[in-house]
Amino acid sequence: MTRLHLKYAILTAAIFLPLIWAFVEIRNLYPVATWNVMMAGGLLERGRSYWILRGETVSGETIDIRPMSLTNAMYARTWTMVNATVDNQSFKLPHPHPANAELLRQAGGLEHLPPGARVPDLLRAWGDLYNERLPASSPQRLKAIRLDMYRWEGGSFANYDKFIESWRQNL
Amino acid sequence: MAPKFIKEIVNRVVPASAFALSVARVVVHATFLISVLIASFSALGRLPITILRPTGAMRLLPWSFYDQLLTPAGMMILKLAMVVSLVAGMIGFLTPISTKTSFLLVLFYQGLLRSFGHFNHDEMLAVFCLAVLAFTPCGDEFSLDKRLRKNRRDRPAFAYAYPILLMQLLMAWTYFSSALIKLRVSGLTYLTQNNLPALAIYHSLDNLHDTSFRIAFWLPQIKEYLPFFVGLVLLWEFLFPVAVFFPRLRWLILGGGVIFHLSTLFLMNIFFPHQLALYLLFIDWDRFSSSRSEAPTDTIP
Repeated sequence: MTRLHLKYAILTAAIFLPLIWAFVEIRNLYPVATWNVMMAGGLLERGRSYWILRGETVSGETIDIRPMSLTNAMYARTWTMVNATVDNQSFKLPHPHPANAELLRQAGGLEHLPPGARVPDLLRAWGDLYNERLPASSPQRLKAIRLDMYRWEGGSFANYDKFIESWRQNL
Repeated sequence: MAPKFIKEIVNRVVPASAFALSVARVVVHATFLISVLIASFSALGRLPITILRPTGAMRLLPWSFYDQLLTPAGMMILKLAMVVSLVAGMIGFLTPISTKTSFLLVLFYQGLLRSFGHFNHDEMLAVFCLAVLAFTPCGDEFSLDKRLRKNRRDRPAFAYAYPILLMQLLMAWTYFSSALIKLRVSGLTYLTQNNLPALAIYHSLDNLHDTSFRIAFWLPQIKEYLPFFVGLVLLWEFLFPVAVFFPRLRWLILGGGVIFHLSTLFLMNIFFPHQLALYLLFIDWDRFSSSRSEAPTDTIP
């Protein structure tokens, strides 16, 4: 075996062995990936929550806002970012950010934290990004931005939009 | 000497020239370069760090690092570094270095994105292809390095052919293992009538996806036919390795892939553009090379 063949054998093993481990365990451990895309399919019986981002303009309109137009780098991951933020997942890390650790301490633990404790921060970031693209005098500027949560209870292909709750942030 | 069966496979299924591997370098780097150029890094730097959840290897970095990075200025520096590295990798300048820096920077950036959202798979194959390119001689042709170099480098054809095969096998793995996992986790219930409409409708309800196609709501009307469609997709995923080993059937499999990914876009608002771009790795680029005769031997002795 030449040096080249040895090098390529090592490269192949270094790439495929972790991938095979991830496949066996069905576990993504960045950067090792298992292609478990849509592996469970969609259970009609299972209820699902979803969110719509909306803005309230200075002129009094309520408009839908696509986060993709504000933070396009997140592409395809925005919906799970919102999902995780509402679920306070950044507080469930073994070592949360110091600001989150402090908020946890003040609240008296994760169980006392309200859902979406950091949603207002996210809404403010999106609201500011939206307004910065408009002239200061524009009636289309937002005075508030909100995240409306809905639920499709499942069981039938109907009744998709049961309103659950809303997070609202003045700008 | 490489094992005989590997040489036979390589000779039969992939181009064995420095030019073909160099085109693969251009394709992978250009794919990431485009996605980095159109992404607003400064806006990304405005997201609150308190919603970040470092995933996997990203947890090795301290919070103080993320505090410094996750600002508009910090993210613009990252973008600049990525653009410089990816351009250098794409044009083949200082290739042994630029391919490695591109791999590391993209690896970090993709990990950062996944630390906000979920572990989606679109770019992951291309990340692994960057890893392959970082450790193979992908700058010997079709590169600035070649123009600047006085002496031509002679390497065996296997040095260029095997990395192409490796990248094609990686793509085959993504689809084949995906089909296997679906059957491991869900079994034949994956083929039930409500599976696809329920999943597609869920991904069409919010305004947080990249697109807002509403075709999914029409699927319940034809749900009795959908198990056949889903089964066909599973079969296609299982058969994807055929695209690697049987070049004559390659375009049938890849054509099916284009239809599949466009279907997920219109039905589920989920798209895999990076993965689709890598279908270019299956083209026999030697056919388009005017300097093919200058390339090393086309078959591995």
